Amino acid sequence: MPEPIIVTRGVSKIFNPGQPDEVVALNDVSLEIGQGLVTVIQGPSGSGKSTLLSLLGCMSRPSMGHILVGGKDVAKLPERFLTEIRRRTFGFIFQQFNLIRGITVLENVMLPLYPLDTPLTEIGRRAVSILDSLDILSKKDVKVQHLSGGEQQRVAIARALINEPRIILADEPTAHLDTRLSGELIDILQELNRNGKTIVIATHDPMVIEAPLVDTIVSMRDGTVQ
Amino acid sequence: MNRHAKILEYALSSLLRRKYKNLGLVVVFSLVIAILSSVLFFTDSLRSEATAMLAAAPQLVVQRLSGGRHDLIPLAYGEKIRRIPGVGKVVPRYWGYYYDYLTRGNYTLLAVDQDRPDLQLLEGSLPTAVGECAIGEGVARAGMIGLGGYLVLADGRGQYAALKIRGIFSASSNLLTNDLVVMTREQLLQIFSQPADLATDLAVQVYNEAETALIAKKIKLLLPDARPITRGELIRTYEAVFNWRSGMVLTMFLGALVAFCILAWEKAAGLSAGEGREIGILKAIGWETGDILELKFWEGMAISLTSFLTGLLIGYVHVFFLGAVLLAPAIKGWSVIFPRFALNPDVSLYQILVMLVLTVVPYTACTIVPSWKAAITDPDIVMRG
Repeated sequence: MPEPIIVTRGVSKIFNPGQPDEVVALNDVSLEIGQGLVTVIQGPSGSGKSTLLSLLGCMSRPSMGHILVGGKDVAKLPERFLTEIRRRTFGFIFQQFNLIRGITVLENVMLPLYPLDTPLTEIGRRAVSILDSLDILSKKDVKVQHLSGGEQQRVAIARALINEPRIILADEPTAHLDTRLSGELIDILQELNRNGKTIVIATHDPMVIEAPLVDTIVSMRDGTVQ
Repeated sequence: MNRHAKILEYALSSLLRRKYKNLGLVVVFSLVIAILSSVLFFTDSLRSEATAMLAAAPQLVVQRLSGGRHDLIPLAYGEKIRRIPGVGKVVPRYWGYYYDYLTRGNYTLLAVDQDRPDLQLLEGSLPTAVGECAIGEGVARAGMIGLGGYLVLADGRGQYAALKIRGIFSASSNLLTNDLVVMTREQLLQIFSQPADLATDLAVQVYNEAETALIAKKIKLLLPDARPITRGELIRTYEAVFNWRSGMVLTMFLGALVAFCILAWEKAAGLSAGEGREIGILKAIGWETGDILELKFWEGMAISLTSFLTGLLIGYVHVFFLGAVLLAPAIKGWSVIFPRFALNPDVSLYQILVMLVLTVVPYTACTIVPSWKAAITDPDIVMRG
C-alpha cells in the first residue's frame, strides 16, 4: 500500500454530548487512506459514512481521537488552520451538490478562490479550463438552478477542482443521478485519479462500490469500521 | 483585484439575489432615517435661524409684568433705567401680534422710526408715514399682495386701515422678517389702540457686555414689576424650546424606531435556512470565518449606507424644499396661523455623524452577530441545518 495521506486513530464523534438526544455517530474509528488511491467508505444510511468524511475533510472536529492529514494532527487545530488545510488540500463533492443558487456556473466554480489574492482573471481562466475539461463550458453563464442534476454535479466537481486539491472527498455523489450520469461521474473520478488525485467516496451505491477504479473499501455499520 | 474587492463584489451580487427582501428593508430603513433626519435638520435650522436673529437683538430687553403677564411699559421707566451707571441708550420698542382672519396668518407688527440695518429690503423702502408699511415675504405670499399693493388691517375699534406696501423684506434670516409688518410708530399705536406714553418693551444698551447680568439685577431692584431679559437668556430659551419640541417628536417616533430595530434584528438574527446553508457551503469550500464576516459586513454596510443616504436625501428635500410639511405642525406648534417660510439649509457634519453612528452601526452589528455565530460553527453542522 502506498504511503497513507490520511490516518485516523481511535476517532469518535458524539453529537449533543451529555444531552438526552446524544448521538454517537462514530465510535473508535481507525483507518488509513492511501495516497493516490480511490477509497470507498460503504455502509447503510446512518452508519456514519458522511460524518467520517466530514472529519477526514476537516469540516468538523472529532470528539476523541486523532486525525493526521499529511502527517499533521488536525484534530485539535484551531478553526483558522482547519480552513487553510481544507482550502489547500481538499475538494468536496456533496450529495446535494451544494451549489449557490442565483449565481452562474462560472461564479460558483470561481467562488473558492475569491478570498485568496489570486487575480480574478486568473481565477476565471482556471475555471473556464476546468469547465471545458468537464464538457460543461457551454453552460458557464447559466444560473445553476436551471441545470439538470448531472450538469449540477459536474459544476460541483469543477468547483472542487478549482483550488487544485490533492484529495477529493465525495459524499454520495451518485445519489441524485441516473445510471448513465452515474457512469459518467465514475469516469470523471477515474480520470482525476489517473491525474494523481486521492479520492475518498462515501456511498452505498453498488455501481460505485463495484466500479473498477476502487482500490480500497472500508465498510461501516453503527459508527464503527467492520 | 484584491480579495476585499472580490468579497465586496460577491456581497453585492448576494444582495441582488435577494433583491425583493433587501429592497423592502431599504425602503423601511430609508423612511426611518428620513424622519430622523427631517427632525434634526428642521430643528437645527430653526435653531440657527433663531441664533442669527438673536445675534442682532439688544443686549437687554426690559418688559413690564402685570399679573404675571407681559404688559405695556411706561416710557418713564426708560428714564429711570438710563440713570443706572453703565447703561447707554434706552430705546422704547413698539410691536405686537396681529391675527389676520382672511389669510389665517399671525403677523408680527413692528414700529420702526429709523433705519434698521438688520432689516434688509428685497425691494422698495421702509415706511415713512402713516398709511404705509413694509412686509415680509411670508405676509406677501399669504395675502397674495406685492409692492404698491395694500395690506388691510383692522384696529382695536374695528376700523380698517389700508396700508400701502412700500417694501418687501428679504433677510438672511427668514424667521426674523417672514411674518413681519413694519410701519410707523403712530400707525402701530393706532392699530393697537395703544397710549403714546406706553411702549411694548425697552431695549437697553449696556456699555460693558460683561455687566449685563448685573445691570439686569439693578433694574429688577429699581423697578420690581419689570422683567429684564438678557440676550443670553433668550438664546437659551430658544434652544430649550427647539430641543424640547424635537425631543417630543423623536419620542413620538420612538415606537417606529423600536419597530424597525425589531425588524432589523429579526432579519439579521433569523438567518434563513438558505443563508445559513450558504455560509456552510462557503466555509466548506475554503472561506474563513473572517471572510464570511467581511462578506456580511459589506452586505450590512451596503443596505444601511444606501438607506442612510436615501433617507438623508429625502429628509433634506422634505425640510428644505418641501418646507417640512409633515413635521411643521408638531415642531412649529402654531403653524396653522404661522406664515409658511423657507428654511436656509443648515446641516452640520456632527449631526450626520451622530445619525450615522446611531443607525448604520447598530444595523451592521445586528447583521454580523448571527452570521458570526453561524460562521464559527463547523461547516457540516451549518449545512445539515
